[in-house]
Amino acid sequence: MSADTAGPETLGSLSTEPEQQDPNSQQAKEISGKSPLRIALGRLARDKIAVICAVVVLFFVLCAVFAGPICHLFGVSLETPLASERVDGLNQGLPKPSMGPPNGPFTWDHPMGVAPRTGEDNLAYWLYGCRVSLTIATTATIFASLVGVVVGLLAGFLGGAVDKVLSFFIDLFLTIPFLLAALTIAPIINDRYNLSDNYSTIQKTALIMVLSIFGWMGTARLIRGEVITLREREFVQAARVMGMPTGRILFKELLPNLAAPIIISISLMLPTFVALEAGLAFLGIGVTDGVSWGQMILKGTNLTFFREYPQYLWQPLLGIVALVLSLNLLGDAVRDALDPKTRR
Amino acid sequence: MFAYVVKRLISGVLVVTLVSIAIFLLFWYGPSSPAQPICDRETSNRCSAAKLEIYERTLGYDNPVYEEYGKYVKGIFVGRTLTIASNEYDCSAPCLGLSFRTKQPVKEELVSRIPATFSIAIGGAFLYLLFGVPIGVAAARRRGTVADKALVSSFLFISSIPYYLFALLTWLYLTITFEVPFFSDTGYFPITQDGPFKWFSGLFLAWVALGIFGCTQYTRFTRGAMVEALSEDYIRTAKAKGLPTRTIVYRHGLRAALVPVVTIFGIDFGTLLAGTIFTERIFEVQGIGWWSLEAVQGRDLPVVQATALFSAVVLIISNLLVDVVYSVLDPRVRLS
Repeated sequence: MSADTAGPETLGSLSTEPEQQDPNSQQAKEISGKSPLRIALGRLARDKIAVICAVVVLFFVLCAVFAGPICHLFGVSLETPLASERVDGLNQGLPKPSMGPPNGPFTWDHPMGVAPRTGEDNLAYWLYGCRVSLTIATTATIFASLVGVVVGLLAGFLGGAVDKVLSFFIDLFLTIPFLLAALTIAPIINDRYNLSDNYSTIQKTALIMVLSIFGWMGTARLIRGEVITLREREFVQAARVMGMPTGRILFKELLPNLAAPIIISISLMLPTFVALEAGLAFLGIGVTDGVSWGQMILKGTNLTFFREYPQYLWQPLLGIVALVLSLNLLGDAVRDALDPKTRR
Repeated sequence: MFAYVVKRLISGVLVVTLVSIAIFLLFWYGPSSPAQPICDRETSNRCSAAKLEIYERTLGYDNPVYEEYGKYVKGIFVGRTLTIASNEYDCSAPCLGLSFRTKQPVKEELVSRIPATFSIAIGGAFLYLLFGVPIGVAAARRRGTVADKALVSSFLFISSIPYYLFALLTWLYLTITFEVPFFSDTGYFPITQDGPFKWFSGLFLAWVALGIFGCTQYTRFTRGAMVEALSEDYIRTAKAKGLPTRTIVYRHGLRAALVPVVTIFGIDFGTLLAGTIFTERIFEVQGIGWWSLEAVQGRDLPVVQATALFSAVVLIISNLLVDVVYSVLDPRVRLS
């Protein structure tokens, strides 16, 4: 039972960090004169799992950004076709053999097949679903981070009554889970706007708002804790003595030192939001216009389709799993790279 | 100690009041008209402006909002009589409103749904601890070995997959594709009506999915806390005294390590009680989460409002309890 022999536990090859650094070692030369973020980036590049995950994430980002051109390349589109041309109404609405799986061979006209019953092209829906997922998750992450950073900075730096009030709100929001909030907001948005032309846009905006309003607390806590320790450092005191206004101290002096916690909180938020967006769509309380991985999964779980055509379920499902998994593992590697001493 | 509990209680009451006001306002100002869904329902989607006005008036939506909030709170404590169009409905305390679909007091159906959600929560939470803590302890004792690393990375892998997809695949493949006999009929069967076996087999798969997924987190917590506890000085003292390994690990190490785990467990159990929406939806367990989803689809605003309030209150109370228990276990908390 020797608790001291093990090195820092990590996923990849990060555990080569020596316990004590010799100033003349290879390691020390490598990091001399580099900013902490630079060092972390170097560590990340040496982590095989992180690199693989980064490539996977990049693939999804490219899919999302170039959804239009890729669809054009394959000659597919989001348009709803005349269903009877593509699906066999007598055979439970499953795709005709000429449309590819499950009844026919692979065809380049529809590389991922067509949806049962409606005959919509799966590739187009998959690509645009990826775009919706990443757009909502990224936007929500940006907003939640902004709110979290500002609240954390103010609470940590000003202290006293401001800190008490803000901490109270952090705790208050922490008690309410996303799912409950989304479930409560969904029927209200539906009731107010379901006849509007922009219903789908309003729905997405509402979803982003719910995710950001109930997602900023983690960042705020992290930043607040960091600011409380930074507040007493010499460079902040020097700035104060020089008569720098509080706003300038916050954003010019403190903010650059908060890069690591901000990156960490982003790395936690992004996969959570991707998973939540799809999950809410699956429950029917998120995006409901059909172009979303969660909605595709919901359709794929129809038992007839699932028995005859499991690929229809697996396509969006693998999309979410691969994206969330690689975002999570990448986030984990980033956290390790920023602070190799962390043990989870 | 007493002062601390009173302080936490006061802030708990404050939070409940704030949340109830927020939910009330949301359902008051949020919809274009709060009476629209029931008006549509009663008139088979031919709700004219005049009809809508009648519903709004009888439901009190033309009164000032603070007055109606007062009535709502009063209804929760002493009950009230609600009018929809020309019919009066009695709603005894605690009155959470009338369902737009059944015109029954929401409270009664809410109470009837609690056993299903509670069954899921208790079974899932039991498995969290049953698997999570021992595996975490074992990993911490073998810290740094191949077994530990394999366990940590495989658990990281599992917990990186969204929970609902994990549960969905479990359900689809075990009950639909392979039709495993014991699992094939999932759902909630009251123990008093269908007997304990049916109850157990209906929920078993939900528990396993919830338990396996949740225990990965507990393994991580326990492992982290154990690693920290085992590197303390008193553990070295215990080793130097020549105590048996078992005593050192369980009596000295685990006892210290369990305090944060118990705290997290309390919060998680509260979250489960407040609604296991994905689990209930996937495994077709008709508990509170399932019911509120159904209410969302049926535009049954009072039911959604009541479940939101119920879940929020359950969460706040469980957080409060955790804080108090934590202050008993760790005196440093209440002194700071």
